[in-house]
Amino acid sequence: MLLDLSEEHKEHLAFLPQVDSTVVAEFGRIAVEFLRRGSNPKIYEGAARKLNVSSDTVQHGVEGLTYLLTESSKLMISELDFQDSVFVLGFSEELNKLLLQLYLDNRKEIRTILSELAPDLPSYHSLEWRLDVQLASRSLRQQIKPSVTIKLHLNQNGDHSTKVLQTDPATLLHLVQQLEQALEEMKTNHCRRVVRSIK
Amino acid sequence: PRAGRPAASAAAPSRVRARPHQLSARRVSRGARVEGHGALTMELSEYVQKGFQMLADPGSFDSNAFTLLLRAAFQSLLDAQADEAVLDHPDLKHIDPVVLKHCHTAAATYILEAGKQRADKSTLSTYLEDCKFDRERIELFCTEYQNNKNSLESLLGSIGRSLPHITDVSWRLEYQIKTNQLHKMYRPAYLVTLNVENTDSRSHPEISFSCNMEQLQDLVGKLKDASKSLERATQL
Repeated sequence: MLLDLSEEHKEHLAFLPQVDSTVVAEFGRIAVEFLRRGSNPKIYEGAARKLNVSSDTVQHGVEGLTYLLTESSKLMISELDFQDSVFVLGFSEELNKLLLQLYLDNRKEIRTILSELAPDLPSYHSLEWRLDVQLASRSLRQQIKPSVTIKLHLNQNGDHSTKVLQTDPATLLHLVQQLEQALEEMKTNHCRRVVRSIK
Repeated sequence: PRAGRPAASAAAPSRVRARPHQLSARRVSRGARVEGHGALTMELSEYVQKGFQMLADPGSFDSNAFTLLLRAAFQSLLDAQADEAVLDHPDLKHIDPVVLKHCHTAAATYILEAGKQRADKSTLSTYLEDCKFDRERIELFCTEYQNNKNSLESLLGSIGRSLPHITDVSWRLEYQIKTNQLHKMYRPAYLVTLNVENTDSRSHPEISFSCNMEQLQDLVGKLKDASKSLERATQL
């Protein structure tokens, strides 16, 4: 599958051959950093002064590079397809190689970042537990009532939340049994066949 | 009563000895004291005592009426459907309704207190003797109490605040193929929903979360640890 690059995109990327390959490598590093942490316009100004161009040009160059990397990572295109897609830009052999390397080096991390953009349910982070025995209450003395207190740690969109819950021994066993069945399910023939055939 | 007290802490004593000025009309501390099991005493108000004295009197309550009233008291406490109609029995019609109500309330109050303190037969007998119950009525009371003891303790044990309680779990296994941000994902994911019950508000919120295989294994592993710990603790 080839990338479909718009005219505007090609224009922005046209800046890259005009600078040193070390600069392109640096742009690549900035692009990934911006994906991780968000963009920082001051960086553009500093680079613009050093390269003696407008900061807009630098920004477009970095953004063009970012988009190239994220689209390629999103679609998980092959090396060959990447090379063919970039070929149309008419860059030098050296620059093409550099871009490919940037793609391959950062693909995994970019995909992780992209996966965090999906519609999100809270996801499991960890769990703490505690055994308690209730001995008495205001309404009944001399009890022996075992229970398990659970602190469930969840993540959602970077926010951490905790839920404190309780359950009794019988339900605990039931939970373990049910969830073990859930794990076993992936090993069944049916699931294996589906996984094999969707590729 | 302090509603915010968690159930697991030491029980708030129902005696009010330390603060005589805050007594409600019912809990005047001149009531009969009964030594319960393990030197826990039950303090019962004059109101309860008077009610029992009337119940003891064959002139006010014959054997049949006594038994009916006793059963009505247990029914009011333990039967969720019960209402004022528990006292609507033809064999109770001849008794002054005010007296009937007083004795019914007294009996119910005592039963709750006895249940709370886990009173044994000798405790019950002692108190009833003090109220001038004859042997037959003491036996009747104790038998009736014994028959209802488990339900009573179960009811009392279920009252109180606790953390949201997990009652069940459901799960869903999916195979993720793509999102609009990410193609060719090809990985399994689980959606786990815990069914939770809140004791006071009777609400049933659900807690749902997603996890991958590794995370589910972690979750199950930890629950198994808790389970094993529980097993070991109960064998001690």
